[in-house]
Amino acid sequence: MEQDVLTTLKILIIGESGVGKSSLLLRFTDDTFDPEQAATIGVDFKVKTLQVEGNRAKLAIWDTAGQERFRTLTPSYYRGAQGVILVYDVSSRQSFSKLETWLSELETFSTKHDIIKMLVGNKIDMDKREVSKEDGLKFARKHHMLFIEASAKTKEGVQCAFEELVEKIIQTPGLWETDRRGLQLERDGNTQQAACGGYCSVI
Amino acid sequence: MDRIVNEICDENDLKKFQVLYQEQVKRGVVDEKAQFEYAWCLIRGKAHSDTKKGIALLEDLFRRIKEDEGKRDYLFCLSLGYTRLKEYEDALKYAKALLKVEPENRQAQSLKHYIEDKMKKDGLMGMAIVGGAAIAIGGLVGLGVALTKKLN
Repeated sequence: MEQDVLTTLKILIIGESGVGKSSLLLRFTDDTFDPEQAATIGVDFKVKTLQVEGNRAKLAIWDTAGQERFRTLTPSYYRGAQGVILVYDVSSRQSFSKLETWLSELETFSTKHDIIKMLVGNKIDMDKREVSKEDGLKFARKHHMLFIEASAKTKEGVQCAFEELVEKIIQTPGLWETDRRGLQLERDGNTQQAACGGYCSVI
Repeated sequence: MDRIVNEICDENDLKKFQVLYQEQVKRGVVDEKAQFEYAWCLIRGKAHSDTKKGIALLEDLFRRIKEDEGKRDYLFCLSLGYTRLKEYEDALKYAKALLKVEPENRQAQSLKHYIEDKMKKDGLMGMAIVGGAAIAIGGLVGLGVALTKKLN
């Protein structure tokens, strides 16, 4: 079904070490979860095709290492990304307070100024919560990001995070291009709700 | 895995980390960070000579650094480097070494599969060449026999 793909989008996953970036990705692409997920070495890469509002988009997802030792090496992967998923762990205040740093990193190295940002508060399955949903929401609003709380372990919110992000990218003119055959987007003014009922979408 | 193995480092990045590394070399003290960053880019260099240089820097780090923390990263990068050079025996050796420490490491597992797949394909290709040669020789012999018969 390759010929039906509208466009290929570059998606980036960033955030502190241990917040569950790779786990979110693997839940999304392979529907698996490993509680003992090893720290990512440098960067990992996965492809997945997603159907959003009748359009098929191929996602090229770059999952970056959160560890300090890779901090200077990973920004080179920011180039050309149309969407970014910034992850924190709701059971770690520290991971939340580092969000500003990640955003300024993104500001510095991303080449598309209108890159779409999705904030994901992961690990909502954990009993010990240190960041309230309101705090996450407030941060996302302040920085013009989409927001959702999720759990890579229970699947909750994972699919939605990617779908909402892709939908927003596709709705943003100039952020992506049609393929050679000049496929056009359906823009019939039908403000369809996202597949997950708009639950996670807040700007 | 193809994408990760064949990824090429941006030349400006390579230069940036090269400068940092060489400054330290001039000063006579090279820290682990600068050497690793430069090696990381070299491994992904366009030319095989870059990859080879990167491998040398990583093998040096591996011997030089006492702490275990970075060693997993060096092992993975070394395996990646040798994979790029198509030196699959060494590539496999380093991927296996990492899996010994972290048997469940997904990145190392995929890299190992990738290498084994390439080795298998290379092996089949070798066999196909040998097989092709055998058929050709068989044909010649057959032709010789036929000619001999005819002459007789």
